[in-house]
Amino acid sequence: MTGPRLVSILRQGSYLIASIHTALDDTQMTAFQDDLVERIGRDRARGVVIDVAALDVLDSFATRTLRTIGEVARLRGAVTVVVGIQPEVAFAMVALGMDTGSVHTALDLEEGLAFLDRVVGSRRPVTTLRGGAG
Amino acid sequence: MEAAEYVAESPAGGPDAVAALLPMVRRIVAARVADATAAEDLVQETLVRVLTASGRVEPGMLEPYAIATARNVVATSWREQDRQRRNQHRVVDLRVPDPPDGELLAAEERSAVAEALTRLSERDRQALLEHEVSGRDTRALATELGSTAGAVAAQLHRARARLRVEYLLARDRVEPPTERCRPVLFALSSGDRRRQREVDAGRHLLECDVCATLSQPLLERAPQRDDEVRIAIGADADVVAARQAARDLAGRLGCFSATDLTLIATAVSEVTRNIVKFAGSGEVVVEVLDHPRKGVQVTARDAGPGIPDVERALQDGYSTYAGLGLGLPGARRLMDEFAIASEVGRGTTVTMTRWCGQR
Ligand SMILES: [Zn+2]
Repeated sequence: MTGPRLVSILRQGSYLIASIHTALDDTQMTAFQDDLVERIGRDRARGVVIDVAALDVLDSFATRTLRTIGEVARLRGAVTVVVGIQPEVAFAMVALGMDTGSVHTALDLEEGLAFLDRVVGSRRPVTTLRGGAG
Repeated sequence: MEAAEYVAESPAGGPDAVAALLPMVRRIVAARVADATAAEDLVQETLVRVLTASGRVEPGMLEPYAIATARNVVATSWREQDRQRRNQHRVVDLRVPDPPDGELLAAEERSAVAEALTRLSERDRQALLEHEVSGRDTRALATELGSTAGAVAAQLHRARARLRVEYLLARDRVEPPTERCRPVLFALSSGDRRRQREVDAGRHLLECDVCATLSQPLLERAPQRDDEVRIAIGADADVVAARQAARDLAGRLGCFSATDLTLIATAVSEVTRNIVKFAGSGEVVVEVLDHPRKGVQVTARDAGPGIPDVERALQDGYSTYAGLGLGLPGARRLMDEFAIASEVGRGTTVTMTRWCGQR
C-alpha cells in the first residue's frame, strides 16, 4: 500500500509528538490511539503532544478518543497535551457540548512543548523542533 | 527519532463505490433468500449488474439503484424457481429464448405506450400528442390554450413524467400495491426533488418491491445535479466522505462562514456515524435550499432497527453504545432545524437544515 501519511509519531527526548495529518475515520482513529498508547510504554515517554491542527472536524468520537488517550497516558505516567485545535473546530466542540476533559490543550506545538517542560520538567534535548524557539 | 506511519487507502472509484454497497445488498438478499449459497450467488449477480450500470446511473443514486437491482434479481430467481416447479414434469426447457422476438417486443411496447396514454388526463394527453406527434411548439400551444410558453413547457414536462410511469406500469402489467406508489414514481420520473421529499421516495423504495423494480429505468435517466450530493453509507470511511461532501456543497453557496461549515460538517459526521453503528448502511443526501432563503438540508436515512424512544435519544447523555450519547442531541444543537422520523423495524430518517445568515 502506498499513499500519503495519515499520522506520524515522533520521539523527541522523553516526549512523543504525534501529528494527525488528515481526516481519520473511526477505525483509523482507534488504530492511532492504540499505536500511540503502545509507543508511550515502549519509549517510556513522560509527555505526549497530539497535534490536530490539520483536522477540520473533531466530532464526538474523535474528541472521546483524544480523552481516552490522555487518560490512558496519565495512568501510564505520561502527560498529554492536545495542540492546534482550529478556532472553528473549537467553536463546534463547544456547540456540541464536548471538551477534552482532563487532557490539557495548548495553542500550538511550541506552547505544548513549553507546557510539558513546565509540568514534566525538561528532559528533551535543548534543540527545538522547527527552529524558531519560543 | 522514530516514525510510525499509516497510509491512506485508495480513493473511492466506481468499483469501490459498488463494493461499498455489499453489506446492504447482502442484507436485502438475506432477508428474502434463506439458502446461503443461493443468496451469495444473487448478491454477486446484483453487484455485477450494478457495476455494469454504474456509468449510466447518477453517482448518488447508486444505492437506490442497487436496492432496486437486488430486489429484481431475487424476484427473477423466484419466478425462475416457480417456472421450474411448474414445468418439472416436462423434459424440455420451455423458457422463452433470450432475447425475445423483436417483432413481438415492438408490438408490446406500442400497446404499452397506447395504454399509458389512455391513463393520462385529457388535457395532458392532448398537449403531449400535439407537441410530440403533430410537432407543435410550446409557443403555438400556449397561444392556443391561452397560456404561456413556460406554463406549457412545465405541463409537458409533467405529462411526460406521468407517461413514463404509466408506460412502465402498463408494460409490466402491474397495479401499484399502495396509494403511495404512483406519487413516488411520479416524483422520481419528473426529477422533482421537493416532491420526492414530500412523498419520502427514498424510504418507499426501501420498502416497496414494485416501486423498487419500476423505478430503476426512472433513476437511470435522472440528470446530473450540482445542487445535490448523495453518499451511500456502509462503512466508517463514508462518515468522513459524507461530512466532506456536505462541507463542499455548503461552501459553494458562499454564504456560510468557516465556522458554519465546520458546524455543518460536524453535525453530518454525528448523524452519519449513527447509520454505520446502528443500521450498518444507508444514505446521506445533502441538498441546496433556495426558499425561504439559502441553506443546506441534510437527510440521513437508513432501513435499520429504528430508535424505540426518539425523545430519549435526543437527551444528552443517553447512550446505547460505548458511552457515546452525544450524536443526535449534539447534531441538533449544531443545526437550525432538526427532525427525526423513526420506526422500530423500519428505520430512521434524520432531516436537518442550516440556513445562511441565521445566527
Ligand atoms: Zn410502491
